[in-house]
Amino acid sequence: MPPLADTDVQEDTGTRRDEQGQRPWQTVVWNDPVNLMSYVTHVFREYFGYDRTQAERLMLAVHHDGHAVVAEGAREQMELHAQAMHDYGLWATIRQAPQ
Amino acid sequence: MNTGRVVVLEVTRMEAAHLAGLVTQFAELMEDAASSSGDPAIARLVPDAYADDDAASEDFREMTERDLLERRRQDAGEVLGSLSEASALPDDAEPGDEVLMELVELRLEPEILRAWLRCLAAIRLVLATRLDIRSEEDHDVDDPRFGIYEWLGYRLEGLVQAASDDD
Repeated sequence: MPPLADTDVQEDTGTRRDEQGQRPWQTVVWNDPVNLMSYVTHVFREYFGYDRTQAERLMLAVHHDGHAVVAEGAREQMELHAQAMHDYGLWATIRQAPQ
Repeated sequence: MNTGRVVVLEVTRMEAAHLAGLVTQFAELMEDAASSSGDPAIARLVPDAYADDDAASEDFREMTERDLLERRRQDAGEVLGSLSEASALPDDAEPGDEVLMELVELRLEPEILRAWLRCLAAIRLVLATRLDIRSEEDHDVDDPRFGIYEWLGYRLEGLVQAASDDD
């Protein structure tokens, strides 16, 4: 049955799709040598409402991996998040989830 | 997280005056600022939002640049407002005068504190661009601007800790 087959393919490739079968968009925050780790954590807590542990984990992912996906969803929503990050002075970009 | 906290910052009048001078410079830079000027420090405040799509980045900047730069001006104004009394020095004040070392308490309400955090972070981004800081190890002890950059980092760190100290 095609629907089941599609699901299997999706799981095999690790590709996520929304209800319309589109790959979701992502807001990505990039590491920079200027913003303080404590400040980045503060931003993640204040803006996204993460608790300290979640926010620090995300901040450390940015710091060690060079970037981290901080949100996923509709493109317009990701653009709002990116603007909010720029408002704090963080460097954020928007992309479609990788294949 | 406690977002309703009033933070008290204790500074000397001299430090308040230095800070006010720096924020004034920043406000002047932000006046009529536009990414089209080609100034990399302005560009850092309104960065590309799409890594591989210049047209989309440009569209995004057209939508957001005005608000982002207006925010920088507003924040600078808020910070200068909270420093105005502390940074006012007597006209005849000279280096070494006791009045310069007088400690003043700045009470920063939550909204004002947020403006301070954004403003200090943004000034550090501008300074880092001017100093060509590309890694956390970049440092030139002979350049006094690094001292200013680190002093701002110290103050920002203290304010962030005070703002998020809820454990």
